[in-house]
Amino acid sequence: MSTANASNSPGKWVVLPHYVFGAVSFLALSLLLLLSGDAFGGHYFHPKLLTLTHVAVLGWATMIIFGALYQLLPVVLEVRLYCEKLAICSFVLLALGTVLLAYSFWFFQVGVTLHVAACSLFISFLLFTINMVQTARSAPYWTVEADFIVTSAVWLLVTGLIGLLMAVNFTYPFLPQEHLHYLKLHAHIGMAGWFLLLIIGVGSKLIPMFLLAHCDGTKLLNGSYNLINAGLVFFIFDHLFFHTKLLPVYALLVIAGVGLFLKFVFEAKKTMQRPDIDLGMRQTFVALGLLIIPLCLVLVVSSGLSLPPALMASVYLVYGLSVFLGFVSALILGQTFKTLPFIVWMHAYEDLVGRFKTPLPKDLYSHALLLWQNRFYCLGFLVLGAGVLLREQAVFMVGALAFTVAAILYVVNVFHLVLHKVQDLKPFAYGNAKA
Amino acid sequence: METLKPDVIQEVLNTLKYIIDPEVGINIVDLGLIYKVEASDKELDIELTLTTKGCPMSGTITTATQQILKRKFPNHEINVELVWWPMWTPEMITEDGRRQLEEM
Repeated sequence: MSTANASNSPGKWVVLPHYVFGAVSFLALSLLLLLSGDAFGGHYFHPKLLTLTHVAVLGWATMIIFGALYQLLPVVLEVRLYCEKLAICSFVLLALGTVLLAYSFWFFQVGVTLHVAACSLFISFLLFTINMVQTARSAPYWTVEADFIVTSAVWLLVTGLIGLLMAVNFTYPFLPQEHLHYLKLHAHIGMAGWFLLLIIGVGSKLIPMFLLAHCDGTKLLNGSYNLINAGLVFFIFDHLFFHTKLLPVYALLVIAGVGLFLKFVFEAKKTMQRPDIDLGMRQTFVALGLLIIPLCLVLVVSSGLSLPPALMASVYLVYGLSVFLGFVSALILGQTFKTLPFIVWMHAYEDLVGRFKTPLPKDLYSHALLLWQNRFYCLGFLVLGAGVLLREQAVFMVGALAFTVAAILYVVNVFHLVLHKVQDLKPFAYGNAKA
Repeated sequence: METLKPDVIQEVLNTLKYIIDPEVGINIVDLGLIYKVEASDKELDIELTLTTKGCPMSGTITTATQQILKRKFPNHEINVELVWWPMWTPEMITEDGRRQLEEM
């Protein structure tokens, strides 16, 4: 018989600021989308598109993932976070770096401001990676989830390093090849190495937990980890040194890895004990469904098909859109309401459990707002994608508008949660507990 | 689940039903988290688990179990032990627990 430890949760000031900054960034992103209709008619290397991408990737997605991970890592690895101060420093640098980077790209000032932004971000990623590695090292045993999380943190650091080199290269050109060459590397390491691995690592623990499902074995997850990393490493070496025509093969390795993860989720869903799936998990399944779009498009962009240049440019844009505003955003929109209510609830009510009739985490936010948020998000994303593909600015603006409504509903619900105050509670009389 | 003093044991379980797992929304008894309850004239020994290792609720649930039983049985020494074996699986949810899940 093994005896367990006390809770490993970090303080709320480590976690909650990430959610607040992430929510504000999501709203800022949607407002910037409304101002960027003209940018979606050409190449993806456009100041406004660079701004939008980095606000989405850093201010919104990475910010929320950092915060959620500080709360979830102790659950996944069964150990306390290595250092809370490191997490706070990482947050400050990520926030500063994101704001400066967005400013630099929007006004295309690629001098000192961009350098400071890139340095802040790289140091933030470095501190985050140290925190992840040291936390995982002190875990009681190494798991496949630890493999995913630690490797994703290392890929994030590599992504940040390439970004920093490109930022310096704007002012002092020293890289041997053109900027776009490294941009492809930067983007794909970020997408597959950081987001995909991290989401699979955390999702493989949380999805069965939220579904009350029972999963045996780690064969599928090990396969997924190996395939995605193999595809990514082959791609990097090929892109840097060999320039073969094997890119679709590497893409297929990554797709196969994702396929194994989806099979894992499907197996978990088959054994779930919950009779109904709540809105947060429904949105998570929407995100997993949306993942099919970039997986198909990566084959198109890597296969070197001779499509008309304008169409190819649109495909590239929809590809990026389907990763950051599709899969990643949909997942965060759903998982926010699986993680944040619990975090807020724990800090407000954990000392009152068993003594007073406390609300549950699901009682702390508006389900109606969440339902409409999810609907407007789906509408916004699909119409945005159609607008970009068809190069119709009016259609794009309708999508951006629906996206903004979703962002407003999200922000209202997140602030409602974060500002939650404990109400007068009725003490239990210990006589008639609900069976 | 061992039962040495059936009346007291049942009373303990009824009391522990006031502790609700916040994520699942049903009480820890019907969730199948209570593995053992033993009672003597002076002591109550409880063994419980959590739905997953590393659960952030570990401190909350063990403390709440301790406090709620101390209030109900002030003359007993309360010993609560958090254990991981056998590992909890969703199949351990009681019939009542499943009914509560369906009603949500």
